[in-house]
Amino acid sequence: MNITQHPELLQRLAASYALGTLRGGARRRFETLAREHAAVRAAALVWQTHWSGLAELQPGTTPDPAVWLRIQNLVQADQAQHRMELARAQAASASGWWRSLRWWRGAAAAGALATVAAVLVGWQAHGGLQAATSAQIAALQQQLQATPQIQYVAVLADDQAAASMLVTFDPKNQKLVLQRVGGFQEGDDKSLQLWALPPAGGPRSLGVLGQDKLLTLTAAEQEVKQVPTLAISLEPKGGVPSEGGPTGPVLFKGALIQRML
Amino acid sequence: MSTLDPDRELMELLDRVATQDDKALKALYDRTSSKLYGLALRIVRERDAAEDVLQEAFVSIWRGAGSYRASLSPPLAWMGLIVRSRALDALRKRTADRAGVTDELDELLADTLEGDSPNPMDVNDASQQAFALHQCLTRLEAKQREVVSLAYLRDQSHGELAEQLQLPLGTVKTWIRRGLEQLRQCMARYA
Repeated sequence: MNITQHPELLQRLAASYALGTLRGGARRRFETLAREHAAVRAAALVWQTHWSGLAELQPGTTPDPAVWLRIQNLVQADQAQHRMELARAQAASASGWWRSLRWWRGAAAAGALATVAAVLVGWQAHGGLQAATSAQIAALQQQLQATPQIQYVAVLADDQAAASMLVTFDPKNQKLVLQRVGGFQEGDDKSLQLWALPPAGGPRSLGVLGQDKLLTLTAAEQEVKQVPTLAISLEPKGGVPSEGGPTGPVLFKGALIQRML
Repeated sequence: MSTLDPDRELMELLDRVATQDDKALKALYDRTSSKLYGLALRIVRERDAAEDVLQEAFVSIWRGAGSYRASLSPPLAWMGLIVRSRALDALRKRTADRAGVTDELDELLADTLEGDSPNPMDVNDASQQAFALHQCLTRLEAKQREVVSLAYLRDQSHGELAEQLQLPLGTVKTWIRRGLEQLRQCMARYA
């Protein structure tokens, strides 16, 4: 029997196929027919379209407002990811000169010339140098006193392992310094928040980042010591209270390493 | 934008969402979330699960709006398909989690089937094709309409429907067969 000669039967089968109640062997036979005859395929499509109207006819119910906030958070993380990839692609194309062989040949030649010049100048300056040395040593010692002692370092990366934030901690001055190194930029109504993830207990907020490239937060050594991981989450503007932990997606994280050198 | 043509308005919003315009997504959400949440709720029957479905569906819409035009569907139907597919995933996952535990009868549904009270339908924002379906569905008896709707929305077989509605298998089959036959005749007039 050629089903295309029986429009009523075809419609009936297509309707129950698309509804989903045509099952088992009957369903497989219908699918075979649909592959062979465009008219059968078309009838199935028409009924799939008819039934999809059922989804449009359901009475509405207002969802909890929190649903939109969750969607918004996810979408913004999506956009952030997108922007980051864009920035990374731009950075990659900008660093093309670094790989140029001609540039390196030129740089090597210039370096050789500079060495010759330095040796000549050094030969002449040798005599005068002795007198200046003791004064210089005193100045250097003074400078060393003022220099921050970076004892902890962390590189926070996104899930593609691209570095996005450099964190250093100077316990002597109780200064936590964050430097943005990726192209990431949060939206105007969002803030990045830095968290310590201690081995026991929940995440602890270390502070909220501003829009600047370089940011300094104050933290006691106790807060930072023995914390294996730092993380940065995307939060509503101004950040969220520490007790609740992060509410938005974690964008970057990395291990905190104590410097041995 | 004309309020007389909701399809066109929603399509323009979807086009903007495809260009990563998050304000358009918010506008689309405000316009459709109530209807789509109602749909999710009808399929999964739990508020928390339905909220998760709505959230997943909108993230899918955000990422997939660029492929909307190629679907040649009315916008609300396209979004409805995404919600239904997510809701069915959630339903299957839940069924697997609760394997061996008998599902309690859907009480609201039982009322509809026993009392023959018309299950509300809502034609707000519905496309032309959904409007035609609505016209034909209103001619069915409430219980026929209900069983046909559930078969589609929850992707259930005759046997699953009979079990869930606690009706004899033959009854479910008859209702669906008669419902389909009436719909076929009625929809032919709109083709």
